Amino acid sequence: MSKYDLPKKFDHKDIDILKPFITETGKIIPSRVTGVSASNQRKITKSIKIARFLALLPYTDMHQ
Amino acid sequence: MKKYEAVIILNPNLSSKVDEFKKDFDKLLTDNSFKILKTEDVGRRQLAYSIANHNKGHYILFNLEGDPSKLLEIETKIKYNESIIRHLFLVVKVHNGDDSSLLIESKNKKPEAVEIEEKKESKIEKSMITEEDSPKEEDEHSKKEGVDNE
Repeated sequence: MSKYDLPKKFDHKDIDILKPFITETGKIIPSRVTGVSASNQRKITKSIKIARFLALLPYTDMHQ
Repeated sequence: MKKYEAVIILNPNLSSKVDEFKKDFDKLLTDNSFKILKTEDVGRRQLAYSIANHNKGHYILFNLEGDPSKLLEIETKIKYNESIIRHLFLVVKVHNGDDSSLLIESKNKKPEAVEIEEKKESKIEKSMITEEDSPKEEDEHSKKEGVDNE
């Protein structure tokens, strides 16, 4: 069991679930650090990338 | 027929004209034989980074059903619509009938904003008692909030 409360379906609009998986600088944290399963990590990555495109999450902390 | 989930970010300066835009956009969709199953008007939201020199955007979410070939025509029209600063159509297997977390968040935010204002007032009242320090304290608070927003 992981310490994160993960849903069955990931949603790019649910930022609060995705936020623990990015660093302060906006990078995606590897699953070897978070301990999330490989299949969940793929889903999380996908949702984060969509959320970034929609300006819900930052790509980096260097945005002006 | 495919099921789509669409997110559209509007120019925040046109927030007051959202209803007009919605009518036009609904017409564009229905003209292209698209079915609108659900719309969510999230409202103005802070963007994580600026798009076309806008720091805020008006988010509108759609649940759609329609023909993939017609989607191209819609997207070309969106391209030349200057009030849309970003759009995304995603194919989904099943529509999620629940309200999105964005909408819930925007609903929850409004009462919070009032609370913060109330807190500020109470702080000002307190600072009235200690008159000399009051302006400095307020400045610090406003600075902290500014950092949070960024």
